[in-house]
Amino acid sequence: MSKSVLWGLSVMGALACVPVGAQVDHSAHMHPEAEHAGHEMLFDKSGMVMNANSTVLPRGCEEISANITYTVRAGTDYAIEEAGRIFGYDQYDFQVPPCSKINVTFINEDQVRHQWMLHGLPRYLYPQGMFHLEASGGETVQGSFIVPEDDATYLVHCDVTQHMEKGMKAQFVVGKGSGTLWSIPGLSADFKFDSVSNRIASWLLFCSTISAFILLIFFAKKGFPTR
Amino acid sequence: MRAIVWLLFGALLSALLYPPQWYPQRLRFELAQWLGTPSYNVSSNQIEQDADMSDLERVCPDDLLGWRNAQIIEGVSIAATPSCVADNPYAIAAFVQGTNNVSMDTLMRAGLTPDALEKGADLDGDGDPDEIHIRLEIAELNGGSPDVLEPTAQYAIAPGITPGLWVFAPKTFGMATENFESNIAQAMLRSPSPSIRIEQGDRVFITLENTHYMPHTIHFHGVDHSYLRADGAGNDGVPMTSELPVQPGQSRTYELSPRTAGTAFYHCHVQPQAHILMGLQGMFIVEENRPNNTLQSMNIGAGQVRVRSVASREAYDQEYDLQYTDIDSKLNNIIQETNDPERIESWLHGGYNLTSARSNLFTVNGRAFPYTFRESLIVPKPDQHIRLRVLNAGTEGLALHTHGHKATATHLDGVAQNANVQVTRDVFWLASAQRVDLDLNTSNDGTHSYGSGVWMLHDHTGKGTTNDGIAPGGNMTAIVYDEFMDENGWPITQGENMAMFFSESFYRRDEFAAEQSYTLFSYLRIVAFGLALGLMLAGLTQLMLQILRGRNV
Ligand SMILES: [Cu+2]
Ligand SMILES: [Cu+2]
Repeated sequence: MSKSVLWGLSVMGALACVPVGAQVDHSAHMHPEAEHAGHEMLFDKSGMVMNANSTVLPRGCEEISANITYTVRAGTDYAIEEAGRIFGYDQYDFQVPPCSKINVTFINEDQVRHQWMLHGLPRYLYPQGMFHLEASGGETVQGSFIVPEDDATYLVHCDVTQHMEKGMKAQFVVGKGSGTLWSIPGLSADFKFDSVSNRIASWLLFCSTISAFILLIFFAKKGFPTR
Repeated sequence: MRAIVWLLFGALLSALLYPPQWYPQRLRFELAQWLGTPSYNVSSNQIEQDADMSDLERVCPDDLLGWRNAQIIEGVSIAATPSCVADNPYAIAAFVQGTNNVSMDTLMRAGLTPDALEKGADLDGDGDPDEIHIRLEIAELNGGSPDVLEPTAQYAIAPGITPGLWVFAPKTFGMATENFESNIAQAMLRSPSPSIRIEQGDRVFITLENTHYMPHTIHFHGVDHSYLRADGAGNDGVPMTSELPVQPGQSRTYELSPRTAGTAFYHCHVQPQAHILMGLQGMFIVEENRPNNTLQSMNIGAGQVRVRSVASREAYDQEYDLQYTDIDSKLNNIIQETNDPERIESWLHGGYNLTSARSNLFTVNGRAFPYTFRESLIVPKPDQHIRLRVLNAGTEGLALHTHGHKATATHLDGVAQNANVQVTRDVFWLASAQRVDLDLNTSNDGTHSYGSGVWMLHDHTGKGTTNDGIAPGGNMTAIVYDEFMDENGWPITQGENMAMFFSESFYRRDEFAAEQSYTLFSYLRIVAFGLALGLMLAGLTQLMLQILRGRNV
């Protein structure tokens, strides 16, 4: 199962199969298409902005329907009080109308790298279907993109290993959206439970089974109580 | 009265249906004397089972991007890789020149950030940069997830074997996996932690940017470093004595300027009984100071050094970093069982007990056989001197055996051994954390080498050549003479077809299959025996109840 399967609610349209070699040339991730009309790109010590687009309209959009600005803060300070959450954003639920232009200012308050990476955008406009902000420790980056006309729920996350798993996961809902995602901090439940065995639960199960069995035998012998 | 009948009937039936597999030997013998031996029947294990060959992987993946070739990038001349899987040469060029001194295109192809490994001034004026600033992050491979059932950011050490790992990693950008649809970690995120190479006298800053959800430090084992930093803060990486660990999301810079050269070791020193074995361990090599000695300051996944130091080029024809370790999957796989760091922490502290643990996986340069043959072959020509820098970072001893060769230990724990007393032998014992630098001399003189061939190179402790007890596996690799290599980087051998080892099912453990000697009839008979036993027990219970109530039996 690829990791996108469970996120797939939001990315159905974009799941073109990409052959996977043993080696990955990073230039293929971003290069030729990055020069597309309207794509602004930043890459320096402060971080990177990939596939920014503030001018080209997605197919079906007549005009930019709204101009929406978000300031997103990220870091361990924003992890919510819940088991398994160490990293976090200051907001996890973004709701925007179709064809709107989104301007994100991403402020990283930690001393390590974080990302605000959105997946599932149309590939004809956004290479790899993604819009990506990445800020080094203590840095701020800024970028804009225009969302398509259809209702969809997009995944936003930080793909530094374990950051999404430990809290850096948000949903970006365009229009009515296309379902909800699992394990968004403060919004939705985890899909998977701990598989560590629980001794108390096992004993409870054992005792309740035995007592039911004894009671049944007892009443079968004595006759069930009647009113 | 009826109870007694039930009881006797049940007992008789049980005796008749008692499975013959469970008869005492003596009884079977006596019965055979009376009744003759039972008739021959075909047991199910004789029904031929075809070996499952459907999951075979490619032995040698295609080198689509030409990474194996000798090439010049950013003015850096990078040697060819003889094995079939090679490191990204753009990353190598960036590690030589410094990520602050190469083009954006090279960085993009390398997947590195501009501050991943910065190189500054030439302090001693001898033609190479002496100010080095390395930034290390911590990546979790084969970790757990609240969303998907299989491990995330996967890194297989052998077919189908994905133990949870924490590794120091260079500072990369973008996705941690090959692409959004894949769950395989991208090539820069792998085990072991990269070998770090600096020059004697360099002014080195190493910043740990703790991207992980646990606190960590770096301790430089065997590398000359001061106990305190210039600003008075601790510099030894030991939480008990030197400084508090680096919390998640925080960073810390260590400063060192080693006066002596040698092969050393760096590792995390938080809960060392667990964090080192989780994979926070790497080789740290201080090269002798020479003019124009611009080093490849990181070697991803250890192994062949494609851009060598001046000293290495003076005395040797090739150089390899070999990092051996062992893994107990009971420790490492806990991170796949829960997503809650507090539960992981309590398991590492009081749940897992290293004193009763046994390692079950054995790796060299982060892989176990057969993957070792893809990237860790030593490929000499006759009459060469090959430098092998060996570290045993595991908990168990390593008895490193070179088939067909007797190598010479030139340095122990980074210290040069007097030429008159250097030991030449074919098994080198390395206790935990020990290093040895070997001179592998390929002159066919009957001592140093027995000539060309495909000669195994492995741990001789037995279990070291298995994957969780299944052989062949473990840290086995080979010394393969040039003439025995095909153009794809695979050794030309004449024994078993090694393709069959590239299969997950080959390394899947089976219970000893006693079931296989039971036929369907045996199982039916056991069920009937069970029913008869139940009947007997029911009769017995009835009888007891009647006796208890004082009724007439
Ligand atoms: Cu992050
Ligand atoms: Cu640690």
